[in-house]
Amino acid sequence: PEEKCRVLSIQSHVVRGYVGNKSATFPLQVLGFEVDSINSVQFSNHTGYAHWKGQVLTADELNVLYEGIKLNKVNHYDYILTGYSRDTSFLETVVDIIQELKKANPSLVYVCDPVMGDHGAMYVPENLLPVYRDKVVPLADILTPNQFEAELLTGRKVNTQEDAFEVMDLLHKMGPETVVLTSSDLPSKKGDQFLVALGSQKIVKPDGSKTSQKICMDIPKVDAVFVGTGDLFAAMLLAWTHHHPKDLKAACEKTVSVMHHVIKRTITYANEMAGPGKRPSPAQLELRMVQSKADIENPAIVVEAKVLHKSSQ
Amino acid sequence: MECRVLSIQSHVVRGYVGNKSASFPLQVLGFEVDSINSVQFSNHTGYSHWKGQVLTADELHVLYEGIKLNNVHQYDYVLTGYTRDTSFLEMVVDIVQELKRANPNLVYVCDPVLGDHGSMYVPQNLYPVYKNKVVPVADIITPNQFEAELLTGKNISTEKDAVEVMDLLHAMGPDTVVITSSDLPSRLGDRFLVSLGSQRQVRPDGSRATQRVRIEVPKVDAVFVGTGDLFAAMLLAWTHHYPNDLKMACEKTFSVMHHVIQRTISYAHELAGPGRRPSPPQLELRMVQSKADIEDPAIVTEATVIS
Repeated sequence: PEEKCRVLSIQSHVVRGYVGNKSATFPLQVLGFEVDSINSVQFSNHTGYAHWKGQVLTADELNVLYEGIKLNKVNHYDYILTGYSRDTSFLETVVDIIQELKKANPSLVYVCDPVMGDHGAMYVPENLLPVYRDKVVPLADILTPNQFEAELLTGRKVNTQEDAFEVMDLLHKMGPETVVLTSSDLPSKKGDQFLVALGSQKIVKPDGSKTSQKICMDIPKVDAVFVGTGDLFAAMLLAWTHHHPKDLKAACEKTVSVMHHVIKRTITYANEMAGPGKRPSPAQLELRMVQSKADIENPAIVVEAKVLHKSSQ
Repeated sequence: MECRVLSIQSHVVRGYVGNKSASFPLQVLGFEVDSINSVQFSNHTGYSHWKGQVLTADELHVLYEGIKLNNVHQYDYVLTGYTRDTSFLEMVVDIVQELKRANPNLVYVCDPVLGDHGSMYVPQNLYPVYKNKVVPVADIITPNQFEAELLTGKNISTEKDAVEVMDLLHAMGPDTVVITSSDLPSRLGDRFLVSLGSQRQVRPDGSRATQRVRIEVPKVDAVFVGTGDLFAAMLLAWTHHYPNDLKMACEKTFSVMHHVIQRTISYAHELAGPGRRPSPPQLELRMVQSKADIEDPAIVTEATVIS
C-alpha cells in the first residue's frame, strides 16, 4: 500500500526474539507499511526466559523523541499501534501524543492492545486499569482485549456468547468501533481443542443508520506458551483491517490465519530443537518470523469467521 | 538457512539508518537479526532537528550479559557501523572477541565509519581504537577511500595504490575488504565512481590467492544517509551466499544499492516537485518498497576482476 500507510508503533524492543516492536515491525514492513518505531524498553529478551536485562524509556524520554519528530514536522501518521506497558506516566504520555497526532490527522486509526492480564489475573500494575479505561480506550479505534481484559474494562463478566456481545457493545460505547476478543473461555462448537474468538465492528449504512457486524471464530488451541503472538495479532489486524476496512470477517480470517501459520511453523521447529519428549524452552519457542514471510505476505485462509448477526442500535 | 546476526547500530524512530537500515533487508533475506540499539534518536542527524538518547558502554554490557546468561550468545555474524564513543567501541570489541571464542567461525562485518571527503566526522580518538583493536578482529570491512587511507597511512592516487592499501588492510586482519567509493577515475566517465574489493582466499589445495575486483558505480546527485549501513548489511548477506566469489557478492550488493537509490531518488523528486532539492525526510530510503529488489536484485553493475 502506498498511501496512508505510516504507522507509529510504541512498544518494547528485545535484542533477541519477537515481542513488542520486534514482533510487529517486520510483518508490517513486509506488507508495505512504513513503520516508525519508538522502543519503550530495550531488553536482552522477553521476560519469560530464565534471565532478562535491559533499560526502560521514561515518559520524559518518550516526549523528547516525539518532540524530535514534531520539530521536523513529520508527525503525520495514519496508524498508531501500542501494546504492553507497565508504567502509568508512560501510558499517559502515549495518550497525549495520540491526541496530538489525531488533531494533526483526524483520520488516524489507533490500534490498541490493552494488555493487562489473562486467565483471571492482572500481570501489570493495577493502577494501569483506570488509565486504560478512562483515557486510552476512549481514544482507540481498534481494540484487541482478551476476555479477562474486556471484563476488566467493562466491569461485566462473560459467561455466554450474549454476554460477549454485550461487553463488545459496551466497549464500542467507550470508543473503539472495532473490537476483537482475541480469546475466550466460551465453549467452541468444534470441541475442546478449539477456543472461541469474537469480533464486532460498528458500521454506518449508506442510509445513515448504524449497525454492527459480529463475527465468531473457532481457533485451534496450541499446547505451548507463546510470547509475542498478541503483538503480532494486533499488527496483522492493523494490516488486514486496512485492506478490508468494512469487512471484519475478511480481516479476521486473514489475521487469524497468519497467526496459525506462524505458530505452526514455530511449534514444529521448537519441538525439533527440543528433541522428543522434551518441552521446548522459551528461546526455542521464539516465533519463526522471518521464516514465515510468505505466509505473512499472503496468508492461506485456514479459519472461517462466521457472521453472527447484524443488528441496529 | 539458519543464520543469526548480532547488529549493534543506531535506531531511529523515523527513517533508515543504522539498525533500521540493516535489519529489514537482512530479515527479508532470511537472516535472524538480533539488534542492540546503540542510540535511539527521533531521526538521523541530517534533519534540521534531532532528539534522543544514547546507550552507554555499561548499558551495552548489561544487554550482552542478558543474552549470555540465557546461553544464547551464539552468532554467525556481528555487524557494526557508526559509533561516536571510544568506550562503547571498546566494549563492542570485547563482545566480538568473546563471541568469536564461542563460535570461531563467526564473521565480523565492520564498517569503520570515520569520515569522508578528506575529513573525520567522528571524534579523532576513535581512530586508534579502530586501527589497533577493531580492524584486527574484523573479517570484512567496508571503508571508503578516506577511511582506508586513514587506517593504513597511505594515500590512494591510482588503482595500484588502492590494491596496496587493501593488502595493508588484509595484513591488519580482514580477509575481505571493499573500498566502497573512491576518487579514482572511472573508465565509464565522470558520471561514475570506482569501488574496489579484495578477498584473501584459500584454494582447495591449501595455497592462498587474492581475488580483486573493480566496480564502476553510477554517481547520484543527492546526499543519502543510511546507504553505507545498507551496503554493509547486504555485503554480509551476499558474501554469505558467495563466500569465495567476491565478484558475485559485489555485483549483487552494488545492484541492490542501485535499485534502492533509484527508487528513492525518483520518489524524492516527485515529492519535492520540479526544480526543488528534496529534503532529508523526502530522501529517506524507500526500503519497504524495495523488498523485491532486496530479495532478488537484478544485476546492473558489473564487477571486473583485476590482477
